[in-house]
Amino acid sequence: MRVRELVWRVSADAPAYRTRTTAVELAVMSAENTSTLQVCRSCGGGAPIDVHFCPKCTKILALGRHGDYFSYFGLRRKLTIDGAELEQRFRTLSRQFHPDYFYNASPVERRASLERSSYLNDAYRTLRHPIARVEYLLQLEGMPAGGNADGGKHVPASLLEEVFALNEELDEIRELRAGGTSPDAWRPRLERARVPIEARRAAHETELQDLAARWDALIDRRADVGERRTVLEALRERMLERNYINNLLAGIERELAA
Amino acid sequence: MARVVGIDLGTTNSLVAYVDQGRPVVIRDKSGEGLVPSIVSIAVDGTAYVGREAQRRLLTEPERTVYSVKRFMGRGIDDVVGEAALLPFRVSGDAGGVVKIGVGEKELTPPEISALVLRELVRRAEEFFATLGEVDPDVSGAVITVPAYFNDAQRTATRDAGRIAGLEVLRIINEPTAASLAYGLDKRHAGLIAVYDFGGGTFDISILLVEDGVFQVLATNGDTHLGGDDIDRIFTQIVLDTLEQNGAVIHRNGAYDAELVQAIRRSVIQAKHDLSERDESDIRVDGFEVTADGRIQRAVGRQYRMALTRAGFERAIAPIIERTLAPCRQALADAGLEPEQIDEVVMVGGSTRIPAVRARVGELFGRTPHTELNPDEVVALGAAVQADILTTGNREMLLLDVTPLSLGIETMGGVTTKIILRNSTIPASGSEMFTTAVDDQTAVDIHVVQGERELVGDNRSLARFKLRGIPPMPAGLPRVQVQFQIDANGILSVTASELRTQVEQTIEVKPSYGLTDDEVERMLVDSFEHAEADFAARLLIEAKNEAESVVTATEKSLRASEFAEVATELAPGEQRRIEQALAGLKHVLTSEDKAAIEQWTQALNDATKHLAELMMNRSIRVALAGKNVDDVR
Repeated sequence: MRVRELVWRVSADAPAYRTRTTAVELAVMSAENTSTLQVCRSCGGGAPIDVHFCPKCTKILALGRHGDYFSYFGLRRKLTIDGAELEQRFRTLSRQFHPDYFYNASPVERRASLERSSYLNDAYRTLRHPIARVEYLLQLEGMPAGGNADGGKHVPASLLEEVFALNEELDEIRELRAGGTSPDAWRPRLERARVPIEARRAAHETELQDLAARWDALIDRRADVGERRTVLEALRERMLERNYINNLLAGIERELAA
Repeated sequence: MARVVGIDLGTTNSLVAYVDQGRPVVIRDKSGEGLVPSIVSIAVDGTAYVGREAQRRLLTEPERTVYSVKRFMGRGIDDVVGEAALLPFRVSGDAGGVVKIGVGEKELTPPEISALVLRELVRRAEEFFATLGEVDPDVSGAVITVPAYFNDAQRTATRDAGRIAGLEVLRIINEPTAASLAYGLDKRHAGLIAVYDFGGGTFDISILLVEDGVFQVLATNGDTHLGGDDIDRIFTQIVLDTLEQNGAVIHRNGAYDAELVQAIRRSVIQAKHDLSERDESDIRVDGFEVTADGRIQRAVGRQYRMALTRAGFERAIAPIIERTLAPCRQALADAGLEPEQIDEVVMVGGSTRIPAVRARVGELFGRTPHTELNPDEVVALGAAVQADILTTGNREMLLLDVTPLSLGIETMGGVTTKIILRNSTIPASGSEMFTTAVDDQTAVDIHVVQGERELVGDNRSLARFKLRGIPPMPAGLPRVQVQFQIDANGILSVTASELRTQVEQTIEVKPSYGLTDDEVERMLVDSFEHAEADFAARLLIEAKNEAESVVTATEKSLRASEFAEVATELAPGEQRRIEQALAGLKHVLTSEDKAAIEQWTQALNDATKHLAELMMNRSIRVALAGKNVDDVR
C-alpha cells in the first residue's frame, strides 16, 4: 500500500459502497435512488439508473448513482435466487466490467471499471449466500438485523425456555469441571445439552425458507407496504433469533474444546 | 511496436516469456536455457552480475552475492532474524522497518536487488526481440507474478522493484493463477482445479473454478516462507553439524566459513535433485577427509562424502511437506469443498519434482496430480498471456482472483476489525465509519493491518495514518468515512471523506514495511555498471556458462547409477583422464581467463565423448528393451 497523499474528499455523490450503514443513511440513500437518472462522465448524457454503459456513447458509466445489489444484477428484490443463473450473470458482467479490459482506456473509464467490478464482486458475495441475502434485504428495507445493539444480548422471548435450561446445565458442568471430574463424565451431558438448541436451528431454517417464499409472493403481486412490513418484521425476528442460537452453539463448542 | 512480456520473479530462478501469434513462449539464451538464477553479485568496482555468473560468484565471493532475496520482499528485520545465520550476506535494518541487505560496502533494499534481476530479464528479452528483426525491440511493460499468499507489503515491494528497474508494471498477478491460465490454454478444461505451487521459497495453494474461459479463484492459502530453500537449509545444517562434531574447523572469524557453507549448499541441492530420479546419492564436500580414527579434517584435494538415501531424505523433509497440507485443507474449507470434489490437481514449482511431494498431494486429493507441464516455466507463460490480454484486448479469457488475507483496522483494545474478508474476489472494496472519542478532538489515528488474527499485534501492520483537521465537535458527532479499495493487483489504496463538513484535508501515510514514492524514485538501478552491457565481459560470461553446462553434465554422468555399468567398457585410464579434465576446467572456471576456459571446455568435451556415446547406447538399449516387453504383451 502506498498512499503518499490522501485528500479527504467530501464527495458530491453518495459513497458508492459501504459495509456498515446506519438506518438513517440508508433512508437517505434510497431517497436518492428514487431519481432515475445518472450522468455519463464521458459524454455528459443521461442514463437510466441501472444500466452499466452509456446508451449514447457506449462508454462504461461511473458508479455514482446506482440501485441495489439486486437491480445491479437485473434481478427483482426476491429472496429465492437460482444459484446457477446468478453465477452466469456474474461471469457475464465480469466480462463487461473487469479492469483487464480497460487497461488502455481513459482514466475516467478505468476508474469506472474498477468501481463497477468492485461493486459487482461485493454484490455477488452477498447475494450468493441465502443468509447474507436476507440480512442485506432487511438492511435495504431499513430494518437491519445485524446491529450489535439488540442482536445477541437480550434473549428472544421464544427461546427463554431453552436458554434457561441450557444455562443451568452449563453451570452444573462447569462446577463438575472445576471439581476435577474427568471429561468423560461431563462431555456427554454437554453434547446432550446441544441437541434441543440444534433442533431449534433446524426449525429456523425451515421458517426462514417459508418466510422467504412469502416475501417473494408479495413482490410478485406487488403487495402494499403494510403487508411487506409484516413479513419483513417476521424475517428480522427470525434472523435475530438465529444469531442468538448461533452464539449459544458457538459457546458450547468452546466449552467442548476447552 | 514495443513489446510486453510476462515475468516470473522467483526465489531461486526467474524467467521471461512473451506471446507469439497467440502462443506463450519462454525466451531463452543461446544455450537454450530459460531460467535465470535470481542471484545478484556486486563486484568491488560496482559492477552488478546477475544470473549464472552471479551464481558462480556465490562460491568465490559469497559476501558480495545475494540469493533468495524474494524471501525478504516487503518484510521487516524482526521477521527474518532466524534465518540470517546461514546466509553469506548481511541482513540488517531498523526494528519495524524495511530489511537492508549488505553487499560489500553497499546497503540495498530487497526491491533494489530484485530490480537488477528484472533488468537482466528485460535485457534478455530485448536482445531476443532484436534478433527477430524488430524495429523497436524495447520492452515497454511487464506482468510480474507473485505468490498468491503475498500480503500487501510484499506485492507493493514487487511493484516497486519493477519501477526501480524502469519498467511499467502492467499488472501483478498470482503465480498459481498464472499457471492455471497457461494450463487452461492447452487443455480447454472446465471444472474445479487445485494448483499446488511449491517453489524455492514460497508455497501456495489455489482452488479455481474454470468455466466459459473465466478462471475464478474460489480460495487461496499458503506460506510465503516455505520452500525448497528450507530443505536445503536442513541438510546444509546437518552437514555442518557433522563436520563440527567430528572435529573439523568450519568457522572463520567467529561465524561459519561462508564459502564452505555455499559449497555445501550447492552439493546439497545437487543431491536433492539426484534423489528425485534415484534412490541414493551423496553430499560431497571438497577439501575435507575422514581420518583413520573417524575424525573429519581439512585436507586439500580430498573429498568428504555423506551418503543420503531417498528414504532418509524423505524422512527429514516430511515435516516440510506436512506444513503444505494445512493450507490445502484450509483453502478447500474456505471454498466449501471436499478434496474429492476437485477435478484436477496441477503441480507448479521446482519442489514439486520431489516424488514424496507428489505422492502426499496425490493422497490428499485422491488423484494423481498433473506433472506433464514444466513446473519451472508454466508461471511465466501464464504471465505472458495476461500481458497479452491487457494490451491487445483479447477477451477470450478472464482471471478473477481473490485477496489472500483479510484487511482490517485497529479498534479499541488492540482488536482487529475486519473490513474486507480473505478470499474476496478482487477488485474489492469496503468502508468504515470513524468518529471521535473526546469533545473537540481534531485528529483520528488509523492503523491498517492484514491477517486473520483477533489481535492487531498478531497481524501484519500495513500502514498508519492520521486524519487531521476534524472541526471541533462534541465527541461522537464527526463522521469520517474511510474507504478501502483493493485493485486488480491485490494492492490496497485508501481514501477518506468527512460526511458532515466540507473540509478538505491531507493525510500522511507511513507504510510499515515499504518504501515511499520518493525513495523509489531515488533508487535508480542505472547507478550500477552492468557487466552484461560490456561486450567482452559478456563473451567471458557466455564461455563460463557453456563450461558450466559441460561440468554439470559430466558430474551428473559420473554420479549416475548407470555409470558403473558402462564404466567396464571404458579404456584403461579413461575415467582418470575425464576426472583430470573436469578438475582442470573447474579450476579455470574461477578465473577470468576466457581462452583457458574455452580450451579446458574443449578438453573435457573430448575426454567425455566416448563416455557420452556409451551412456547414450545404453539408454537406447533400455528403451528398446522396454518396447520389446510391451510388444510381447
